[in-house]
Amino acid sequence: MLKVDNLHVRYGGIGALRDVSLNVAVGETVLLIGANGAGKSSLINAIIGLVPTSGGTIRFNERELVPISCAERARSGIGYSPEGRCVFPSMSVTDNVLCGAFGRGRKRQLQALDWLKSIFPLLADRAGQPAGQLSGGEQQIVALARAMCSLPTLLLLDEPFLGLAPIWISRISNAIRELQRRGTTILMTEQMARPALKLANRGYIMRSGEIRRAGTAVEIRDLALAEEYL
Amino acid sequence: MDSLLAAVIIGVSLGGQYALLALGFTLIFGILGVVNFAHGGLYVLGGYVAQAAVSKLAIPYPVAVLAAALATGAVGYAFERFVLERRIDDHLATLMLTLGLYLMLSTGILVTFGAESVQFAFPVTGAIRGNGYYIPLENLIVLATCLLAIGAVYLLLFRTDFGRASRALADHRAVATAQGMRPHQLFPLAFALASGLAGLTGALVTPILSLAPHVGDPVLATSFLVVILGGLGSIGGATVAAFLVGLIEAFSGVYLGGSKGALALFIIVLVMLVVRPSGLLGRETRGA
Repeated sequence: MLKVDNLHVRYGGIGALRDVSLNVAVGETVLLIGANGAGKSSLINAIIGLVPTSGGTIRFNERELVPISCAERARSGIGYSPEGRCVFPSMSVTDNVLCGAFGRGRKRQLQALDWLKSIFPLLADRAGQPAGQLSGGEQQIVALARAMCSLPTLLLLDEPFLGLAPIWISRISNAIRELQRRGTTILMTEQMARPALKLANRGYIMRSGEIRRAGTAVEIRDLALAEEYL
Repeated sequence: MDSLLAAVIIGVSLGGQYALLALGFTLIFGILGVVNFAHGGLYVLGGYVAQAAVSKLAIPYPVAVLAAALATGAVGYAFERFVLERRIDDHLATLMLTLGLYLMLSTGILVTFGAESVQFAFPVTGAIRGNGYYIPLENLIVLATCLLAIGAVYLLLFRTDFGRASRALADHRAVATAQGMRPHQLFPLAFALASGLAGLTGALVTPILSLAPHVGDPVLATSFLVVILGGLGSIGGATVAAFLVGLIEAFSGVYLGGSKGALALFIIVLVMLVVRPSGLLGRETRGA
């Protein structure tokens, strides 16, 4: 479904990603782990189109993404939940979620909203509340639901557990499992590798803008333990 | 009692006009992050387009008002799409460009129509008189039109995909783009809407006040005042602040007189900003 080959990203003169290659198959959950500055978010942002690439290719469902805009990538079936959640703070919870399906038609938006409310009851309970007034965990649910509202075939989750209390990590994990049961393909990054590895089928370890290791979730857990990521 | 009622009527009427102006101004600031120095110029342009449509083409006034809103909207769309968009992330450049548009508009109007005020009368005259009150019909019609337009803008912003996208882009442009929103399509539309509102207000209000090339200057100052008082970028704040400013201006004008009234308004706004720097409805959000 997603194939990244020899990707390079530079911020000014500094290389943020160097020769990165990975692939994600349909229905998989793939995890990127690594310390701060390893390049995880740069990779996610390069895939969705928020940062320009300086070399390499990104293919999604056999379509080359590099030449097309960020908005077109989202419309091609990629959902994106950013690091730090980044909900639209002045907008209601419902409007935040509907933003994820911008331009998809009123009927499809409302159908998706009803489905998401059945998974995340919070969306109904706090429907009219400005998202900026929610707790961090609640905002993460809103960000997840927003990313899912367009019913994407690939979901990019950038550090979904960042800054959350254990109870919310557990709740977000359950929400991700629900999405997995529904067949959503997921590429996620996480510094908190232990809970994230429980969700993943495979993983990659990143360091200094490069992919250093790849393997199944069990292999990555063992490698990460050895390299003190856990 | 008579003067109290008069002050309320004048204040609400002024508030409606200010709200329409400030909505456009705050929309452009909130969505594009641009302080639009051309807002007063678009107001004047709206007045002149309506005046020319009525006097030179014999078009009925209501149609002329609509034409003025559409014409200023078109100017705003073209300006954003072909000029502003290229430098949208450079704040200094956008300031200079909108100031440039204002100078072009005001100079163009000066050259075309002359420096003197032009004759432009409101087509409806008369008043509703009663025991202790006197309400000019023109003020009522302008107020009703302003309220209708404000309602329509609210419906557009809070009940449509365009409005949701505009507010999302105002909150977090990169994340909104990553949800499939296209800033290069939505920004010109937002600028056109705001410019159309300025033109609509100009076409409605200049027949009551006056129409001359320089009348946009105080309009820009009032828009600034209202938007800052309401909370920069806050649509609800701008609306509330507009009616507040209208009422303060009317009450201080009636009870204190012209220049003292204006002074009172600025003092009240200053005190409000000291007590609440984020404005009346400035954003309060919560982190993790």
